[in-house]
Amino acid sequence: MPKSQFADPDFLRKAGEVKIAPIPVNQYNKTIKDELKEKHFTKDDLKHIYRDMFTIREFETMLNLVKTTGGYNGVEYNNPGPAHLSMGQEAAAVGMAYNLTTDDFIFGSHRSHGEILAKGLRSIEILSDKELTKIMEEFWGGKTLEVAKNGFKGGSVKDLGMHFLLYGAMAEIFARTTGFNKGLGGSMHTFFTPFGIYPNNAIVGGSGSIAVGAALYKKVNRKKGIVVANLGDGALGRGPVMEGMTFASMDQFTQLWEGDMKGGLPILFSIMDNQYAMGGQTRGETEGYNFAARIGAGFNPDSMHAERVDGYNPLAVIDGFRRKMALLAEKKGPALLDIVTYRYAGHSPSDSSTYRTPEEIKAWEAIDCIKCFGEKLVEAGVATEKELEEIQAKQKSIIFEMYKLAIDLEVSPRMDLVKESELLGDMMFSNGSVDSMSDAKPEVNMPLEENPRVKQLATKERFAFDENGKPFSAIKTFGIKDALFEAIVDRFYKDASLVAYGEENRDWGGAFAVYRGLTEALPYHRLFNSPISEAAIIGTAIGYAMCGGRVIPEIMYCDFLGCCGDEVFNQLPKWQAMSGNILKMPVVVRVSVGSKYGAQHSQDWTSLCTHIPGLKVVFPATPYDAKGLMNSALQGTDPVIFFESQRIYGQGEEFHKGGVPKEYYEIPIGEPDVKKEGKDVTILSIGATLYRAMKAAKLFEEKGISAEVIDARSLVPFNYDKVIESVKKTGKIIIAADASARGSFLNDLAANIASFCFDYLDAAPVVLGSRNWITPCHELEEAFFPQPSWFVDAYHERIAPIAGYTPTANLTNAELQTRAKKGI
Amino acid sequence: MASVVIMPKQGQSVESCILTEFKKNKGDKVAVGDILFAYETDKASFEEESKVEGTVLAVLYNEGDEIPVLANVMIIGQEGENIDDLLGGAQPAAEAPAAAAAPAPAEKPVAAPEITVHQSAPAAPAVEGKRAISPRAKALAEKLNINLAYVTATGPEGRIIERDIEAAAASGARQTPLAAKVAAETGATAPAAGSGLAGMARACDLGKAAPAAAPAAKGKDVLESGEDFEVRKLTNIRKVIAKSMYASLQNSAQLTHHLSADARRIQALRKQAKKLLEEGKLDVNITLNDFICLAVIRALKKFPNVNTHFLGDSIKYYNKVHLGLAVDTERGLMVPCVKNADDLSIVGLSRQLKAVADACKKGSINPDILSPEAATFTVSNLGNYGVEVFTPIINLPQSAILGVNTIVPRPKDLGGGVYAFVPHIGLSLTYDHRSIDGGEATRFLKQIATELETLEVVFE
Repeated sequence: MPKSQFADPDFLRKAGEVKIAPIPVNQYNKTIKDELKEKHFTKDDLKHIYRDMFTIREFETMLNLVKTTGGYNGVEYNNPGPAHLSMGQEAAAVGMAYNLTTDDFIFGSHRSHGEILAKGLRSIEILSDKELTKIMEEFWGGKTLEVAKNGFKGGSVKDLGMHFLLYGAMAEIFARTTGFNKGLGGSMHTFFTPFGIYPNNAIVGGSGSIAVGAALYKKVNRKKGIVVANLGDGALGRGPVMEGMTFASMDQFTQLWEGDMKGGLPILFSIMDNQYAMGGQTRGETEGYNFAARIGAGFNPDSMHAERVDGYNPLAVIDGFRRKMALLAEKKGPALLDIVTYRYAGHSPSDSSTYRTPEEIKAWEAIDCIKCFGEKLVEAGVATEKELEEIQAKQKSIIFEMYKLAIDLEVSPRMDLVKESELLGDMMFSNGSVDSMSDAKPEVNMPLEENPRVKQLATKERFAFDENGKPFSAIKTFGIKDALFEAIVDRFYKDASLVAYGEENRDWGGAFAVYRGLTEALPYHRLFNSPISEAAIIGTAIGYAMCGGRVIPEIMYCDFLGCCGDEVFNQLPKWQAMSGNILKMPVVVRVSVGSKYGAQHSQDWTSLCTHIPGLKVVFPATPYDAKGLMNSALQGTDPVIFFESQRIYGQGEEFHKGGVPKEYYEIPIGEPDVKKEGKDVTILSIGATLYRAMKAAKLFEEKGISAEVIDARSLVPFNYDKVIESVKKTGKIIIAADASARGSFLNDLAANIASFCFDYLDAAPVVLGSRNWITPCHELEEAFFPQPSWFVDAYHERIAPIAGYTPTANLTNAELQTRAKKGI
Repeated sequence: MASVVIMPKQGQSVESCILTEFKKNKGDKVAVGDILFAYETDKASFEEESKVEGTVLAVLYNEGDEIPVLANVMIIGQEGENIDDLLGGAQPAAEAPAAAAAPAPAEKPVAAPEITVHQSAPAAPAVEGKRAISPRAKALAEKLNINLAYVTATGPEGRIIERDIEAAAASGARQTPLAAKVAAETGATAPAAGSGLAGMARACDLGKAAPAAAPAAKGKDVLESGEDFEVRKLTNIRKVIAKSMYASLQNSAQLTHHLSADARRIQALRKQAKKLLEEGKLDVNITLNDFICLAVIRALKKFPNVNTHFLGDSIKYYNKVHLGLAVDTERGLMVPCVKNADDLSIVGLSRQLKAVADACKKGSINPDILSPEAATFTVSNLGNYGVEVFTPIINLPQSAILGVNTIVPRPKDLGGGVYAFVPHIGLSLTYDHRSIDGGEATRFLKQIATELETLEVVFE
């Protein structure tokens, strides 16, 4: 909501009509001779196009035979993994890759073998021998190349490169450690970043927002090249793809971003329009667009420069890409190409094509893109039939040689998770410590000390109480929101790659004032408002980070995590391990946990995140911890879900002696903290529940029971040492948080503590979560969230009855059983 | 050449398909693209097209059969062609459909060896009335020997919790481990207060009512629990000895050689000295040990490599002999040292050895000469106690120590075929192999023996 833009009622209410320029459909009509005349291609270029299409076809034929007949050329192999093949789509893939250099990144789908091979083959063609050799020799310390060389019978460096590419991709598909991602990605996620091939994605449309983030990275960090999001037509039914397109089309790029940052994102949505979304027919059945290219009209006045091109003619696709890339170079992105194509193969080998007729398949086979292109080459005198046959024989032979190596367990072993049981475990996090992800000088608007927020914070009290133990007024107190700001602004001045965005991040300063002052400090491209598109907020952050940047996306309310479920649960946590640790994921997702706002704005969903392997999860409850943990999160290279509670943004530091240090310091993620020592009962709390636990400790003291209060601070990872030590002392523990009790992380903690401390326990660990209800309105919240008295009630009812005590809440085992029976 | 039509594998999870209908039968002519048969998986139905032209020569299954994927279904070739090779032992359907239709064993990952859980009789069936107790309380009860029968449970749902055990301990519901065992085996109950210490119930109290006034136990007929020992703190000297002896064995490469020397010469000298003492011509009682020490000193002068301290990366060679002597005192072992012992006559040596030994026994010894670094070599004499052989421990950093044993008669060849029992004194040399090699140690030990056998002294 920049003040510079006036929402003018006169203009907005004026009569008129929206004009949409026509969207071109299959306008390309050149012959090979035309193209040769215009010197767009040499004869060799055209033969390479043929070669590359044929290579993809044979590669997938091999996979299909392995799946359906258990072998290839008489050599048996059982490949239990998936194979989503694209036979028929080769011209689209090769045409897509033709104009791209290794500076241009592609992202794909579950059906992207063709695209990665096309891009790989093209990269091999345009790289110098020296560059290519360096890439191959340095990759996995030369291990992949070494195996590929076993089947190399001599030839040029580019020939060797072809062996390397085909072997690396096969070994990956067959889950071998010599594969491009150590076999941890597999068929649907094969990629190879040195050639600009970024992850394919097994979630339909998964790349729709991630690729946009990669384009954002290129723009903000002034990197060469464009980004291509290869999506199927089926992906156009996915919300996150629509969100990614919305994000990519934001007006602010052209209207608010300044200087050389002004202009559109270098992103090209490449719709591999093969007519089917698994078994659903997009045109005529499951979509309403008639032409996929039409959707461009929904996103910006340029209709994303959308155009349909003939995906059965590689030259039409190349032409389309050439023109769109020129637009992107002029910062006129995003662009969209609807590439009409067709897959003969089923969705997978178990697809019996019940949704289409043999006639339809035959009609496409009759105009098969490879066959027809070959005929045109012969007709135009570019190649003889014999030459084409020689190309075929050579490519088949390479694929067969590489196949034999890729299935050989001796030279292409799988990861041995029996002998080295923690090999994969150790790949879940990169645990890096990096000051800055960029060598550039951070762009800021002013020296830090001149920032109004920084000046204001200098006057605040960094400990909650004065020397007499009296609390300072709220306005004087340095709170959690200030602590977060201090850590974040510090990183903005250290790391030029750092960007932050989300809803209301600029101007407003974040819905909870954490970013107040950041707008003054940073240019638009480092801090901006996103559309209300949580899937795009997280998805783009993933793409931004996997290309090498650091990013803080914000989810304004924890409850909105569901809107970016795939991105948080399926993308963000996975890519470090799925890439064989090639990719890093320095994404700190700030998530604010609400209260007072009822059923859809007041839920603690930390447990959803702890359940997913690959995410670090923290939930600080004091300014000291918030700053230290934010510093650690921003220094690291792993995805961190950083929970903040709206109950305590203004909370001053009550525990750390001396208050919150002005200097930089880190609190290691994973270490709980004893906030109050005691000897009779341990309370382990998560997040803002700490302050109710402290009140409970007072209630306990009144009854002569000394409570030790431990603040979990982090949920994943979690070091149990201090908790075990405490339970050995007290023999009793209450584990509390605002999450609804059922299925929460509290139960995980309780089960582990019961196991780790069994012989020391005087009662089973007590879990004190919220009720398994909707969160009621603020006025009724006390019946829902754990209250200080509940701790004492639970102690009395389940741990050690207190003489003369009358509990108010019924937390007995019998009551819990009754509630469980009812599902509440 | 005839070709085989297999049952296609329609997806990874598919292990077999049901052949629903043969569209071509044995003897039928087929063209490329003709439908041969229809089949289905649990998910979908399919038709198999012919990829070759020819005549159906064999049909290996019947309609309705469940056929393993990749199994041969049909053979197509030219009429009259021999297809025995392709049949490979498989019989055409008509002959043995049932056997052929058996699905191939599914490929399964090698299962981890199954772990058999022995269901032994439950240790303690949860019988009605069994008392619930928290793990912490149970551990404390065992530690304090608390008789649970007299514990009042105050935990939720009647569970005994830690505080209940603490309360019981305070009120004296303790029993000896034997009493607990006997009680468990016989079901006998113990009185709330027994005859043991502080009212602890003993096995002999089982089944009795509480004694009116628990008398102190007199007899020792039953081993009581508790302390049949006492723990005493180490004295400082014990600590020092413990530390240095342990350190010596941990930190050096020590071993011991034993040999014996003809003791007649030193026995004769001892006799002379005794006589001189009795005659008042000597004012000091020169003992056998003094002569041995003298012999050792003389041997050390000939073996400078033994008269050393081993310092790890270097060896300290001494010009003088500073002789340590192990002295048994009431307070423990002490090793005082006689400095410059090689300057002394037998009388001087005897006097000084006696002086330092007495000082040790009195406790007036100068600590400086007790230090292991003070001496260059030590003698430890257990001969008086009849020890025949032992392995003394080196006083590091010294390179060796001599143990002196008792004198025993040994047969000796006196020459001319005459053997006699001759008194021999045992010598045990422990040396640090890091410092001295076995050959040199042996030669040095032999030298001591030679010195002993040929010792010359002047008593003045």
